[in-house]
Amino acid sequence: MMKNIVYIGFMLFAFLFSCTKEVKIDIPGHKEKLVIDGQIETGLPPIVLLSLSRNIYAPTDVNAFLNSFVQGAVVTVSDGNTTVQLDEFCSDNLSPAELDQLASILGIEPALLSTVSICGYTTTNPAVFGAVGKSYTLTVNYQGETYTSTTEIVAPTPLNSIWWKADAPLTHHGFVWANLSDPVNQYDAYQWESRIISIDTLTGAPKDAFFKKTRGPVFDDEFFDGLTFDFFYDNPSGYGESVPDSIRGRYVYGDTVVIKFSKMDAKVYEYLEKKYTQLATGGNPFATPTNIPTNIEGGALGLWAGFSPVYDTVICVP
Amino acid sequence: MKIILLLLIIAFSFNAFTQESTISGYLTDASSGEVLIGAKVYIPSIKKGTITNNYGFYSLTIPSGVYTVEFRFSGQIEKQKLDLTKDVRFDYEFGQDVQQLEEVVVNAHAEENIKSTKIGQIDLKIAEIKAIPAFMGEVDIIKAIQFLPGVSSAAEGGQGFYVRGGGPDQNLVLLDEATVYNASHLFGFFSVFNSDAVKSVNLIKGGMPANFGGRMSSVLEVNMNEGNKKRFGVKGGLGAISSRLTVEGPLKKDKGSFIVSGRRTYIDLLMKAAIPEDSPFSGTSYFFYDLNLKLNYKLSDKDKIFLSSYYGKDLFSFGNKEDDFDVKMPWGNGIVALRWNHLFSDKLFMNITGTFTDYTFSFISSQDQFSFTMKSGIQDWGGKVDFTYFANPRNKIKYGVQYTHHIFTPISVSAESGETVFDTGVAQKIKSHETAFYVADEIDVTDEFKVNAGLRYSMFHHVGPFTRYIPGAVGQQETIIQYEKGDLIKFYHGLEPRISMRYALKNKASIKASYAYNYQYVHLTSLSAVSLPTDIWYPTTDKVKPQRGWQASIGYFMNFLENKLESSVEFYYKDMRNLIEFKEGVLPGDNVNDNTDNLLTFGKGWSYGSEFFLKKKTGKLTGWVGYTWSKTERLFETLNDGNPFPAKYDRRHDLSIVANYDLNKRWSFGVAFIYATGNTLTLPTSWYVQGQDLLYEYGQRNSTRMAPYHRLDISATLKGKEFKEEKDPDTGELIQVKKKLKSSWVFSVYNVYNRANPYFLYVDNDGDFLSGDFKISVKQVTLFPIIPSVTWNFEF
Repeated sequence: MMKNIVYIGFMLFAFLFSCTKEVKIDIPGHKEKLVIDGQIETGLPPIVLLSLSRNIYAPTDVNAFLNSFVQGAVVTVSDGNTTVQLDEFCSDNLSPAELDQLASILGIEPALLSTVSICGYTTTNPAVFGAVGKSYTLTVNYQGETYTSTTEIVAPTPLNSIWWKADAPLTHHGFVWANLSDPVNQYDAYQWESRIISIDTLTGAPKDAFFKKTRGPVFDDEFFDGLTFDFFYDNPSGYGESVPDSIRGRYVYGDTVVIKFSKMDAKVYEYLEKKYTQLATGGNPFATPTNIPTNIEGGALGLWAGFSPVYDTVICVP
Repeated sequence: MKIILLLLIIAFSFNAFTQESTISGYLTDASSGEVLIGAKVYIPSIKKGTITNNYGFYSLTIPSGVYTVEFRFSGQIEKQKLDLTKDVRFDYEFGQDVQQLEEVVVNAHAEENIKSTKIGQIDLKIAEIKAIPAFMGEVDIIKAIQFLPGVSSAAEGGQGFYVRGGGPDQNLVLLDEATVYNASHLFGFFSVFNSDAVKSVNLIKGGMPANFGGRMSSVLEVNMNEGNKKRFGVKGGLGAISSRLTVEGPLKKDKGSFIVSGRRTYIDLLMKAAIPEDSPFSGTSYFFYDLNLKLNYKLSDKDKIFLSSYYGKDLFSFGNKEDDFDVKMPWGNGIVALRWNHLFSDKLFMNITGTFTDYTFSFISSQDQFSFTMKSGIQDWGGKVDFTYFANPRNKIKYGVQYTHHIFTPISVSAESGETVFDTGVAQKIKSHETAFYVADEIDVTDEFKVNAGLRYSMFHHVGPFTRYIPGAVGQQETIIQYEKGDLIKFYHGLEPRISMRYALKNKASIKASYAYNYQYVHLTSLSAVSLPTDIWYPTTDKVKPQRGWQASIGYFMNFLENKLESSVEFYYKDMRNLIEFKEGVLPGDNVNDNTDNLLTFGKGWSYGSEFFLKKKTGKLTGWVGYTWSKTERLFETLNDGNPFPAKYDRRHDLSIVANYDLNKRWSFGVAFIYATGNTLTLPTSWYVQGQDLLYEYGQRNSTRMAPYHRLDISATLKGKEFKEEKDPDTGELIQVKKKLKSSWVFSVYNVYNRANPYFLYVDNDGDFLSGDFKISVKQVTLFPIIPSVTWNFEF
C-alpha cells in the first residue's frame, strides 16, 4: 500500500500535464553478466536456466531472446549431504510434467515451449528433489567463474480457508479471498499464484495453462506477525485487452481456481519484493532506481529460490 | 580572534576624540506608512551613510553639526536640513518631496553593490520580480530567484531550489523570520509566497552573516508587507488557473495596520468540468489555497509589535470508482511569527521574535475494506533575541541568541483490514533543542577596507522520548531501546566562524572575499528522482550527524557607464560533510516499524564554480544576464561502488537573461530566457530475463544526462489609464481626475518556441518476446508545452 504514494504522484502528473516521446541518448556502463534463474520446490527437481544480460539497446527479437540462454556450464546442487551435477536439457525434448514446470517458470505456454529450444539444467536424481526443512546449495561454473547460492525450503503455512466473493455491485465477477493465521514470533514470507483449471469451451483446454502471478504476489508478515486476517487477490488472467474495464482482474462466476500458496526464506523474499517493485515502478520518477539484490555470490544476476507450496481449490460461487 | 579584537579596537577608536551626535529613526512610505527596508540615509558633505534594517530603522553617529541629510529609496531622493549638534530622533515619511534625481541615485545608491561587504548576496525588489514573465500569470518569487546565477531549479515541476551545489534542504527560507520547510505548491509549480503580500526578497548564497544559521547553502529572506497605515485598499488579480485578493488598511491611522491576502487555484473546478461524471476517475481533483495575515502596531516611539502568519494547503484527491479505490493527499504549512522591536537608545535596537512553524503531509487511501494512512511533519517552536548596536558609521555590531524546539514526525502509519488492525509500530516523534549564540561586527577599517566578521556557536540536543530500533540480520528480530521523556540521547555543538571583506579599488570597482562555516541540524531525504512533498525531513539524531561544511568565495565587482551597469564575477568552493541519502533499493514502506535513519547512508560532497552577472537597473531597458559554470559531486562509501558521482542537479552551464522594456507609461514588455545543462539521472544499462519477467540492471549513479533545458518566456503589460476626464462642477470645464481603480492586463506566453524540455526519462518495454514485436526504448516525459495566459490585476 505504501507504494501507492509513488504511483499516485505519477498518475497526477500523467493525468494533468505530461506528454511523452521516444529519445535516443547515451546510457554508459553496460557490463555483460551471467543471469541464473533457478528454483526448487517441495517434491520437485531443481531447474536452473542460465542466460546473459544484454545492453539496454541490444536487439529484442525472438532470436535475441533464445540466444540469451547459455549452455556449457557445470551446475551442481547439494543438500549438504549429496551433491548432484545437473544435466542439460532443452525445452523441445522434455516430458509433459517437466514441460509444465518449465512453463510455469518462464510463463510460456507448454505447447509453444515445445516448439522452441530453450535449454537449461535439471536432474532426475531424487536425492536433490525439494524437501521441507532442507537447504540447497547451487554452484555454477561457467567460463572459469564460479557462482554459488543457498536457499531453504521452509515449512509451509496453509491457508485456513479460501472463498470467492462477488465484487459488489457486480454479481458474476469477483475476487478470491483467503483467511490466514500467521505463525507468531517467526519470520514468514508468502507467494500467491493462481491457475484457472476450468475448461475453455473454445480451446477445450484449461483456461490457464500454468500458475500465474498477479501484481505484488509476495508479502511478508512485518505488519501482521501472529495475526489471523482476511485478504484477497485479483485474477492475473483477467487483464486481457478484450476484458471490459468494469470486470478487469475479476474471477468469473463458476470458474474453478487452484491457489498455489508458497513460503520462502527471507533472502528470496527480499529479491522478489524488489523485483516486483521494479516491475511496478520502472520509469516512475517518484521511485528510486531499484537494482534487485541477488542471493547469488560471484557477480551473477538472478535468483536461486526454494518454495514450499500448498494447494487449495475454490469454485467461484457464493 | 586576535584579528577580530584588533579590528574592534580600530573601529571604536574612530569616535574617541570627536564630539558626536546620533540621528536615528524609522523611514516609512508617505502614502502607505509601510516601513522602507534597505533605504539609504546619507550625508554627502562628510560622505557618511547607513541603510535601514528589515524594520525600517536606521542609526547614524557622526561629528556634531548642521547637515543636509539625504534619504534615498528606489530611484528617488529627498533632502532635509537638520541640526545634528545633539542626538536626534528623526522618523521620516518618504515620498513627500520626491525629486527624480536618477543621476544622483545612480552615483550613490547604485554603488551599494561595490561598497558593501555583501558577496553572494542579491536583493530583489518585488517590482523586479513582477516584471519577469510569469508561468500562467502567477508571479513567483522562487522562480524569479532561479534566474540568478548560482541558483537553479531541480527541474520543471521540481520542488525547491539549489544554490551553489547544495541540496534544497540547505536553504534557510524565512517568511518574516519564521522558517518555511516546504516553500512550494503543486510539486513546485508555484511557491507559497503570494507576491501581493511580499515587500522584499533577499537571497544570501555565500558569505552568510553570523545572525543566520542552521543551513549550509543559502538564506532566502522574504518580508511581508505590513499594510497601509493611511487608508484602506484592495488589490487582486484574476488569472487562468488562480485568483488572489488582498485587503489592507489602518488599525489606527499612523499607528498600526493590517493586511490579509489570499489565493486559490481552480484547477479542481476545471478538472471537474473535464472529467465526465460517469468516468471512473471522476473523483480526481487538485487545488491549493493560501492566506497571509499581518498586523502591526506602534506601541510607543520605542516599541512596535508585529504579528505575521501564513496558512496554506494543497489537496490532491484521486478516485477510481471501479476499483473502489480512493486517495487523498493533503499537505501544507502553517506559520506564525510574533515580533517586538524595542529601542533601548538611539544606538541600540532590539528585536524579539517568537515563531511557530507546522508542516504536515498526509496520505490517506482506502480500497474495499482496507484502509491506510501515512502522516509526516514538523513542528518548530522558536524564539530569538537580536540586538543591533550602531556604534558609529564605521562600526555596527549584531549579537543575539536563537532557540528552536523541533518535533519531527518522519513517518506515522496506520493500516486496517476490516476488523484487523495491522502492527505498524508507534508513531515516531523525534524531539530536539537547537540553540545558537552569535556576534557579528561590520567594520570600516579604512575607507577602502571593510570587514564583516562574526562567530556563531550552535548546539543541538536530541532528547527523549525516542524508540531506537537496531536492525537484526535479514529476517531476524531487531533490538529496541526505549528512551524516556527528557533523556539526553546525543549532544552536538560547534563553532561557526564567518567573515566577508571588501577592498575598494579605483574606477568604481571592488574585490570581495568571504568564508563561512556552517552546521546544519536538519536533513531532507528523498526516495525519488524529483523533489516531492513526500520527501522526509529528518533531524540530527544519535545516528545521523549534523551536516557541516564551509564555503569560500572571492569576487570582483565593477560598475560601468556612470553606474548604469553593475557587473560581478564570483568564484566559489563549497565543501559539505555528513550528507545523507537513502541506501540503494530502499522502498517507501521500509521505514515503518523502524527508524528512518536505519535506511540512510552518509557521505560528503563538494561544489565549485564561477558566476558572471551583468545588470542594468535604470532606464527604459532593465534586466540582467547571468551565467554560471559549476561542478557538483557526491561521494558515499556505500553508493556507486564508493566512487564519486555527479549530484542530480549538477549543471555545467547555466545561462539566464531577463529583460524588461518600458515602452511608455502604459505598455511594458518582459522577456526571460534560460539555458541549463541537463540534469543527471540513473537509467538501466542492461536487461535480463528472470522468471516470467524482463528486468533491468541500473548503471552508475547519475551517469546519464538529459538533454539541455532551455526556454523563452515573454510578457506584455498594459496598464489602465490613470486619469479620466470629468467636468469641473464649478467651471464646467473638462479636467483630468485620477481614477480610483488602477488596473493592468498581463499577457504572457510561457515556453514561446514550444521546447520539449525533459522532465524525466525512463526505459519502457512493450510487446511480447515470442511474438516478435517486443521493443525496449527510452522515453522522455515533458511537462509544459507553449502556454499563453492572461491575468487582470486591479487595485483601489
